[in-house]
Amino acid sequence: MGLARRGAAVGLKEALARSAARRAHVLLVETPGHWRIRAAAERHVHERGWILARSPADADVLAVCGPVGTGMGPPIEQVWQQMPGPRVRIDIDDEDQVEAALARAAESIADTAGHLEDAATRPSGPDLLSVGSSDDEHADTDHSAHGGGHEGHGGGHEGHGGGHHDMGHDMEMAPHGVALAEGEQDRDGLEMDVLRVRLGPVLPHWPAGLVLRCSLHGDVITGADVELLGGQGSDADDPVARRCDAITSLLALAGWDDAADQARLMRDRLLSAGTDDRAVSDVRRLHRRVARSWLLRRSLRGVRPVHEHELEEHRLPRHLSGDTYDRLLTMVERAHRDLVTAERSASDDLPEDTRSDLVAVDAIPRLVQGLDLATARLVVASLGLDVLHAGRQVSHG
Amino acid sequence: MGEATVTAVAAVWAVAAAAILGCLIVVAAALDGVLSARAQGTAGGAGRPFGEAARLLRQRRRTTIAADNLLWRIGGAGLVVVALLMVTVVPLDRWTLFDLDVGVVWFNAMDVTVWALVWLTGWGSNSAHALVGGYRFLAHGIGYELPLMFALVAPAIAAGSLNVGGIAAAQGGLWFVVWMPVAFVVFCLGVVAFSVWGPFAAALGADLAGGARTELSGVDRLVFETGRYALLAAGAAFAVPMFLGGGSGPLLPGWMWVLVKAVAVLAVLVWLRRRVPVVRPDKFMEAGWLVLLPAVLLQDLVVAVVAVAGG
Repeated sequence: MGLARRGAAVGLKEALARSAARRAHVLLVETPGHWRIRAAAERHVHERGWILARSPADADVLAVCGPVGTGMGPPIEQVWQQMPGPRVRIDIDDEDQVEAALARAAESIADTAGHLEDAATRPSGPDLLSVGSSDDEHADTDHSAHGGGHEGHGGGHEGHGGGHHDMGHDMEMAPHGVALAEGEQDRDGLEMDVLRVRLGPVLPHWPAGLVLRCSLHGDVITGADVELLGGQGSDADDPVARRCDAITSLLALAGWDDAADQARLMRDRLLSAGTDDRAVSDVRRLHRRVARSWLLRRSLRGVRPVHEHELEEHRLPRHLSGDTYDRLLTMVERAHRDLVTAERSASDDLPEDTRSDLVAVDAIPRLVQGLDLATARLVVASLGLDVLHAGRQVSHG
Repeated sequence: MGEATVTAVAAVWAVAAAAILGCLIVVAAALDGVLSARAQGTAGGAGRPFGEAARLLRQRRRTTIAADNLLWRIGGAGLVVVALLMVTVVPLDRWTLFDLDVGVVWFNAMDVTVWALVWLTGWGSNSAHALVGGYRFLAHGIGYELPLMFALVAPAIAAGSLNVGGIAAAQGGLWFVVWMPVAFVVFCLGVVAFSVWGPFAAALGADLAGGARTELSGVDRLVFETGRYALLAAGAAFAVPMFLGGGSGPLLPGWMWVLVKAVAVLAVLVWLRRRVPVVRPDKFMEAGWLVLLPAVLLQDLVVAVVAVAGG
């Protein structure tokens, strides 16, 4: 009787493990210059019937796409520590390894005994926080939210930004090891709590390696510092597919999953089959759908218009003028134009050289200042940062 | 309308009501799974809700530093409770659990508590994105709640009763959806909104890394997601006696008509998510107050005039 019951319990556990492995949620981390690995991983995740996770709490698998460059290690480790478990980490250094890596992950997810051991040996929240505060110089990396504020074990109202307004680490000012929000004058002159929230580098639909340290009044960004981690990106090939990728991100952030999936399928076809007639008609279909959506237009119209003088001032490429809706349509139109010119193989009449695609990262703080957190995400995605220009790394907005 | 149109059944039948709600949840989740799979270019997907549930049952619960655990868990688990309380006043043809004279008000009171629950889910985890998500829901709430309330008023005026069974019975000849379409559409939008679904899912948006549910994992996330589907299903079920003539229909028995109509409304609401992007709360506020509210008030006026003239 007892044995039978135990047998049934084991059977149930195994059945759960097998079902769970069929529906894993994967949090992808892209390192700069390796978007193609991330794109391939997305495709295989969907083909398996798996899901892309939005936050560490939502993830079973952490898939690091590309070799981990300078400064990317600690944030990835923090995200790993925030995953609930059963958890699996895979590192993918090459497009060809994606399928095998995911298959390996599926096996590991079902390995219940291994996960029990992992759970027993994990550090506690206070342990993780104390590691952070012992190293003051990196206080902000260790304390603040990563992956865009999914702090999990890493703390709630995240630590103060890197060193300025340092309030010390004594427990009074930092209950549970997390610093309290500071006060600062709000735009209307009243005092307002200020929260430091870090966006990136582990954040879906966010440019690889980009870190934006924001000061928030409520949910409004009043200032931001920008930094690029993980070295320079290099794979600027397949510009059309890259553009479709940017369109996918913007549509996904706008909360239109179906249209985002359509753009992603188009990107995957471009990557696997190259450009053909079907690609041209695909992009036309997407353009029609996006241009027709009355709701999308209402949502994105008027969101952070970039004026003529700002283009000059921030050395931004011309195609970023207009509001977020304009920028989305421009992205689709440029993808279309590139496809058509590629088809005619008349590359001589390209009106813009690639240099004009460079976006100075230090323009980003100015562009997001005064926006709320979610709107800032839309605006950053609308820039289509395929080629980030490291230039001067840090500025204060 | 002299005699009682519905009979209240014994409380044990609440189990059956919960089971029916559970079936509607599974139907909605499976349909969403199929539609999602199709959009992603793969087949199948009907089994997704089961795989998802298995996965979340196996996943560990997690907490955050300095989380307000009690309020956080109340928020997450509350949605499914509210949905169950909603269906207590929805008559299954001749039977109801709770034959309340003010059933419409009860439903409305329940949907208002969702405000608190979603916000608490965002608040409790002590995380910036989750909290912003919670507030975004309140911003949507300010836009949708008043139009929803006035949409519920229209059938009540026409039937001269706040009793849900009475309203269903008053649609003998003509379903209310036919001559109060604006109220019906606004009601459906309200249902979508308090279920934090589709165009009204800004509080859980990708642009906030998951918003109010960012930090939820394991069984907590399972209960929260189930709660959203449950609210959607309860709202769809409530539309049946309010606008779609309750159990009236040819051939099939009344109780089956109620279920068929509820599933049909539910399917449309689930499908709606695929068609449209999220409505940003700041933009919706304008639409809610300047378009929906006047439109539904006008609808109420028309209904009132017809009711007075006809009565």
